[in-house]
Amino acid sequence: MTRYLLARLGQALVIVILVTLITFVILHLLPGGAARAILGKEATLQQIASFNHEMGYDRPLWEQYALYLRRLVGGDLGYSFQLNQSVAEAINQRLPKTMLLSLGSTLIAVVVAVPLGVIQAVRRNRWPDYTINGLSLLAYATPIFFMGLMMIILFSQVWPVLPPEAPQGFTMAEVLAEPAGLVLPTLTLAILTVAVYSRYIRSSMVDNLNENYVRTARSKGLAESRVIVGHTLRNGLFPVITLLGMYLPALFSGALVVERLFNYPGMGLLFWQAALKRDYPILLGVTLLISVATVAGALVADVLYAAVDPRVRLKAARS
Amino acid sequence: MEVPTQPLLRLRDLSTDIALRRGAVQALDHVNLEVRQGETLGIVGESGSGKTMTVLSIMGLLPTGGRVVGGEILFDGRDLRGLEAQELRRVRGVEMGMVFQDPLTSLNPTMRIGAQVAEPLRVHQGVGKAEARERAIEILRRVGMPRPDKIVDDYPHQLSGGMRQRVVIAMALIRSPRLLIADEPTTALDVTTQRQILELIDDLREEFKMAVILVTHDLGVIAGRADRVAVMYAGRVVETATTAELFRAPRHRYTEALMRALPESAESGRLYSIPGLPPDLSRPLTGCRFAPRCGFATDECRTTDVTLTGDAHAFACLHPVTDRATIAPSAAREPSASGAAKPILTVRDLVKEYDAGGAGLRRTAARVSAVAGVSFEVKAGETLGIVGESGCGKSTVGRLVAGLEPPTSGEIVVDGADVTTLDRAARHRMHRQVQLMFQDSYAAMNPRMRIDSILTEPLEIQRVGDSGARRARVSELLDQVGLPRRALERYPHEFSGGQLQRIGLARSLALRPRLIVADEPVSALDVSVQAQVLNLMRDLQRDLGLSYVFISHDLSVVDYMADRIGVMYLGKLVEVGPAHQVVRAARHPYTQALLDAVPTPDPGRTADAGSAIRGELPSAVNPPTGCRFRTRCPLAQDVCATEPPLAGGTHQVACHFPLRQEAAAGA
Amino acid sequence: MTTQEEAEPVRGMWRQGLEVFSENRLALAGVGLFVLLAGFSFLGPLFYQTDQVHTDLTKVFLTPGTDGHPLGADGVGYDQLGRMMLGGQTSIVVGLAAGLLATVVGTVWGAIAGFAGGWVDAVMMRVVDAMMSIPALFLFMLMASIVTPTVPMLIVIIGAFAWLGPARLVRGEALSLRTREYVMAMRGMGGTGGRAVRRHIIPNAIGTVIVNATFQVADAILYVAYLSFLGLGVPPPAANWGGMLSDGLSDTFSGHWWLLYPPGIAIILIVLAFNFIGDGLRDVFEVRLRRR
Repeated sequence: MTRYLLARLGQALVIVILVTLITFVILHLLPGGAARAILGKEATLQQIASFNHEMGYDRPLWEQYALYLRRLVGGDLGYSFQLNQSVAEAINQRLPKTMLLSLGSTLIAVVVAVPLGVIQAVRRNRWPDYTINGLSLLAYATPIFFMGLMMIILFSQVWPVLPPEAPQGFTMAEVLAEPAGLVLPTLTLAILTVAVYSRYIRSSMVDNLNENYVRTARSKGLAESRVIVGHTLRNGLFPVITLLGMYLPALFSGALVVERLFNYPGMGLLFWQAALKRDYPILLGVTLLISVATVAGALVADVLYAAVDPRVRLKAARS
Repeated sequence: MEVPTQPLLRLRDLSTDIALRRGAVQALDHVNLEVRQGETLGIVGESGSGKTMTVLSIMGLLPTGGRVVGGEILFDGRDLRGLEAQELRRVRGVEMGMVFQDPLTSLNPTMRIGAQVAEPLRVHQGVGKAEARERAIEILRRVGMPRPDKIVDDYPHQLSGGMRQRVVIAMALIRSPRLLIADEPTTALDVTTQRQILELIDDLREEFKMAVILVTHDLGVIAGRADRVAVMYAGRVVETATTAELFRAPRHRYTEALMRALPESAESGRLYSIPGLPPDLSRPLTGCRFAPRCGFATDECRTTDVTLTGDAHAFACLHPVTDRATIAPSAAREPSASGAAKPILTVRDLVKEYDAGGAGLRRTAARVSAVAGVSFEVKAGETLGIVGESGCGKSTVGRLVAGLEPPTSGEIVVDGADVTTLDRAARHRMHRQVQLMFQDSYAAMNPRMRIDSILTEPLEIQRVGDSGARRARVSELLDQVGLPRRALERYPHEFSGGQLQRIGLARSLALRPRLIVADEPVSALDVSVQAQVLNLMRDLQRDLGLSYVFISHDLSVVDYMADRIGVMYLGKLVEVGPAHQVVRAARHPYTQALLDAVPTPDPGRTADAGSAIRGELPSAVNPPTGCRFRTRCPLAQDVCATEPPLAGGTHQVACHFPLRQEAAAGA
Repeated sequence: MTTQEEAEPVRGMWRQGLEVFSENRLALAGVGLFVLLAGFSFLGPLFYQTDQVHTDLTKVFLTPGTDGHPLGADGVGYDQLGRMMLGGQTSIVVGLAAGLLATVVGTVWGAIAGFAGGWVDAVMMRVVDAMMSIPALFLFMLMASIVTPTVPMLIVIIGAFAWLGPARLVRGEALSLRTREYVMAMRGMGGTGGRAVRRHIIPNAIGTVIVNATFQVADAILYVAYLSFLGLGVPPPAANWGGMLSDGLSDTFSGHWWLLYPPGIAIILIVLAFNFIGDGLRDVFEVRLRRR
């Protein structure tokens, strides 16, 4: 088991290093070079030269990369001259809000998608299956901002029970103080996630229901509910744990759109505002951090999966 | 044995349909059967005969679309079809138990053994957790599980196939059922394990006074274990009688044909084979369903519905067998190769080792020793049979000889040249000499290629002839294996298993090789189709002067096909000699154990209990030193820790204590 | 175990595949939808000509049905129906081109990794892992903020990052096909690795690739919509459904519903169409191989 953990950790580390390499390359592809992109169009040649020297951008590339890595390890993600704030600080303020949105919608999605997927698998190729399948395809095909707008129209205009805008509070406490404002963004993000998860759970459950061990369980005279909940569901849900990890990039992409739509002050909105203003330190910093979060999430999911599924756990333990 | 008069289970005109996307398959058509307490009923038939559907109908485990459409299932006098769902579950869960074919997939992979075994108690009798665990340990001990107190907390994948089948049996027994249904319980297991499992079921039946239904395709298994037999064909019971009576005097023409198709009953070196294929049950059928394949059928057979008649020995045949058939002992095959013939293949000290799961970063020193110093030769026109249980390395030997993998060390001399030292071009040409025939021809054919492309491919690769010559050759090949020209335009999935084996054989013949390595070529086939393919292989050998390396786990098939037999155990060749000597006068204790474990279609013969091997096959990662069989050998002594050489004249054995001296040459 | 050899006529693979596809009603609906939407976008302008280059401030926010504009006009006076046609052209072209680009790049990358194996495979796949761990929209926006978005640029940006999925898929296929028994059988005849790839691996992997390509097209159309929504779409007078939809968003609360729903519904329909077609094709490639 420790061997597996170490191997998986090593792999994650390699991926993170590759990601830093990608952001480093992008940094150097920026129009006018890194210094001009960071300092802005008005910077004088002298400012650029001194900045280049300070950051080590006048040294050989590999040395620059080493410096870049060292700064990253030290928690220095750069400085945004436009926000007049360090990137780390800007992210720090917004990261918890994005996490709240992502975790909340994931939780809702799992709670909704599991029963849906199970119903689809048990009643496969009959009307409940077709109905749910049709709805999830529809949800998948709808651009998430269009879906969010429909929600706003429905729940803020036609039947005005919820605010159309997310909480604008600066701190987490302020955000949490307006739970009603969180409902629509979280639900919007959850709907798309449900569409993806329920299809996955359905196919995982169908595979398991066709396994021989299910027939063995039935031969014991168990009620169908016990066969499904006691035998099939566990096995069908194990792979879903890794899906949670695999789905993270799509979840964060979705969060970016939802935050923009509901004006929710998280990482996504920060990133969007930075993109419009060409604030590259923020853009690269957020990209890097989001990617590391993705890698870490996938790592946690894989390790969790290995820890709970005896097939993987014991196989990993033996080697 | 005292047999109660009232049957415990009785099927009356049971009919089952399976709905397809279009129409339905009439899987069972008016099946009548009964089984009494303490009795074993054998149901025998080929694939598609409905034997498994019968027991699944009883247990209510029919696949999606399956439905009992008529008749009664009387258990202890009550018709199961009329019971409430909950009561039905109780009857099936408590009073019946079922053992399935594939123990590897029959257990829930993520549930502990103990929890699975005890589940019926917890559900149906409300037994507490601690007591359930105790009962599980108890029943696991009863089915011969070593260290049951430890195994209750294990997961299925930690156990071998044989052990998992014991778990499934324990699970069925823990409810003390009155009826045990075993559906091909040993088909997925090796013969020595099969014997252990069948004996266990027998013992338990006596101890628990159960009725047992044993479903199998293997007449040998039935002969040794059943009290009465029902023979099924195309969804119907065609004959039923006591085991002794059925094997002594089968009356239905199908039963007779089935018995004559067994390799054991080969007369004059040729197997009786049933022409054609079983009927398609999704189409309406009239008359006797065997009539299209029966040599005695008349117009009456094809038009009138023949029903099962008779009391103790009932059969559904208008022109039954009247003369008494007996199973003749297998006729020793005339050695087809003279002793002076040149060897076409010589293998010396062949070794193949694999890295043990060394994926990614962890490259451990552990090596799997798949083949460990094997030497043999095959003469022109001769068949060398290689037998052994799964994991003995026989298939690896086949792949090495066919040049699919390079050996770790050793020599493979084909026609005077050592293949392992050849340059690329010469090795490429070598493939013309040696060809491989696969167990599963469907898997061995590209599903997107038509048969003509499949048969032309070897000619293209070896650049034989122009396109006209290739076309002619392909037509010739089809004629040789007895398939119509129309087959060329079709795709592999449109053929049956037997036809695919013919196409596979045709493909391996395309380059006019001198040696064909056939790896389990008939293992996936039904007896009647197996006979067709075996006959074809022998005919072609005679006509073309081929040599075969015939690899199989099935001793009776190898006995029928081979001039000489080599027996492998855990990567070693432990015995090799003329076929009739190895089979009738085995010298290695392992060979003897293997022979004794093979069920024979002769109810009079009982296995010698003393020779049964116990225990499990050791791991090939760290095989025992010296004689690799010594850990399970009843005769093993200290000296066996040193490796015995393969010694002798024509009948060689690698054993410090051979069972017999070598018979005089030419015996 | 029976064959219908005597009873059934010989049918080619394409015939069989077509039969399976046409049995799937949703797949047929998908094809119908696609033909309808593509016909509307590309052939529509031949019958319904509008000026989509010059703005006309006299027609700002015309309601549907007035003054010869069946779907009204938008905030700068473009005829909405004509604009839907123009936007459809861009959406479909970008979707198809980006999906194709992603499929080609991904297939080549995945195939090389799968066949080469060992270190080459490990390095190539870690690159895919790394790029996949950067959420796609973040990457697109990063790229779009560096270069000015035009239609060809959009295709390149989306194609350049959407190939990761197909790369993983094809690598998996290659790895599994490499060990199939029919490839082993071919090697037993003396066949080379090149022949295995040409005759056995590509023909068997092509189905998976084609099915995946249809889903890639659907995803690419959605990505264009997201980029437009995030303000990095193609600038006017060019138009695409995604851009029209996100523009329509701001008009909703002024009651200009005709600027919102037509592009929204069009996007949903075209994405659904490609998903239906993909599902139908998957049936084709699976069922015709299924034994009996």
